[in-house]
Amino acid sequence: MDKTIILLLLYVDICIGFGFYMYLWRIKKLIGFHLGMNISIVMGGMIALIFGVLLILQFPFHFTLITVVSTLTGLVVGAMFGLLFDYQTFVTGLTNGIVVGLMSPMIGTIIEMPSVFVWCIHIFFAISLCTISISIKRS
Amino acid sequence: MLLILVLLVWNLAEVISIYRMFKKKNLLFDDRFTKTMCMAITTISSVALSLYLELLIPENQMSSFFLPILVGVFIGWRFGSIIKAPATLNGIYNGAMGGMMGMMLGAVLQNPALCNIPIDSDSLIATNMYVITVFIALLHTIVSSFIRYSIKV
Repeated sequence: MDKTIILLLLYVDICIGFGFYMYLWRIKKLIGFHLGMNISIVMGGMIALIFGVLLILQFPFHFTLITVVSTLTGLVVGAMFGLLFDYQTFVTGLTNGIVVGLMSPMIGTIIEMPSVFVWCIHIFFAISLCTISISIKRS
Repeated sequence: MLLILVLLVWNLAEVISIYRMFKKKNLLFDDRFTKTMCMAITTISSVALSLYLELLIPENQMSSFFLPILVGVFIGWRFGSIIKAPATLNGIYNGAMGGMMGMMLGAVLQNPALCNIPIDSDSLIATNMYVITVFIALLHTIVSSFIRYSIKV
């Protein structure tokens, strides 16, 4: 897979996550704690998974550093999305981000067809974003 | 290996102190708080402890396959049994998941050729292992300090 496409996808994911964070920041009073816990779990886990896989595809020779970076990314993203709602959602998102971020570079090293896997992850990310938006509208 | 043993004892002491604190004060909290905190501490501590056990036990023995998962299930069972029965299921599930993940991470750190990671010299493998174990111990300390802080407030 081309290196430029990987960097572009990483940039697009950062922008999507930041935009979704700003969207949740405006309407955080309308969301209950149960949906908030699910939002922090899903966003921390998906961002950590995407970061680990894309970074290990981009720099295949730095396994340790990329494990540390993706774990810290999952921690920070889960904590940021959790801090919108409650202290308990904060702890849940942080822990889930840590565990997924530890696992994601290992997935990235063993895949056979990187382009199919990366597009599949992004389709799942889009589906989970759609599900979160629908459940925010319904609540 | 001595460093990993020291980290194992440190994290085990933290888990036991948090467990005793929960056991002493479990009437003060509601069910949601206890479930959330038990889920967090079960996940991170079963990952950490099973990783250390997998690295400490010599390879290709029967105990190196079963002991990490059993440790995770045991931690989940003890933390889940603080509140009512359905929480035990949640604790056991999270503990078994964390135990399997820690065992997988330990196997990859011992033999990086399993994941096609281009690290082949022994000193690089040892450096890799120590960096990741110290990092996981620091993460465990951060999460347990957050939980202790949440009990105090």
